[in-house]
Amino acid sequence: MMERRKFLGLGAALFVAVPASLSALDFRKEKPATWTAKKVDESIKALYGDIKTVDGDIKVKAPKIASNGGAVPVTVTSGLELKSLAVFQDANPEAAIAAFTIPEGAIVNYTFKIKMKGSGEITVIGEGKDGKFYKASQKLDVALGGCEG
Amino acid sequence: MGKMKIKAKVKGDVLKAKIQIKHDMLTYDQAKKKGKQANFITHITGKVGEKVVLDMSTSQFLSKNPILKFQAKADGMKKGDKLEITYTEVFFNADKTGEGKYEDVTEAKKIKGLK
Repeated sequence: MMERRKFLGLGAALFVAVPASLSALDFRKEKPATWTAKKVDESIKALYGDIKTVDGDIKVKAPKIASNGGAVPVTVTSGLELKSLAVFQDANPEAAIAAFTIPEGAIVNYTFKIKMKGSGEITVIGEGKDGKFYKASQKLDVALGGCEG
Repeated sequence: MGKMKIKAKVKGDVLKAKIQIKHDMLTYDQAKKKGKQANFITHITGKVGEKVVLDMSTSQFLSKNPILKFQAKADGMKKGDKLEITYTEVFFNADKTGEGKYEDVTEAKKIKGLK
């Protein structure tokens, strides 16, 4: 807990309504296996445990053919009330790309660029405030692999 | 000298932000080839005052000079408020031996479009 307060820095009276669940910073410290897992299933399990996923209002979008594997734009959107969200893919040496804690008042609409070593599938799992886990995925082809530098 | 380009604008009641961080994002594989330490961003947070608007853990697989766009509700934000972005980066031996060294970098930018 102290780590987190120190990290968030300024503001002595930090009464920020920190969600009871883990923050994205804690994900790296408390779920290290997520980040070293090579397969998507292992990584999801390390992060969220043995979960069942359902379909829902969560989307992941990436170009079906990415010309440059070094910078593949990925957009994740959702209208659901989510606590956290994690993005995985199966083309790189390790499966986890990013994990977000969704703060109060956040809108789930993130775009970022990732490296993909080759063609594969991007999977996103949203942890709902309702306790359910929502899944979306998209396959894509990569013309030029992205981990070569 | 800025390591980040931060653009933040409020339209209606939505804060739209786009950040670009100047960073090589060297993966372990790339570092091994170059004979350097792996060095990539592991965490990015965004705050407006006390309010956290972005909280993300990342891996070595974000692109070089990563661009990130995100949105948040603009309730409670007022003219003069700044979006403060902090990223944490790790320096790690390419062969994964030893301990990682973590450093934080923070920059802030005034949000446009607030009344």
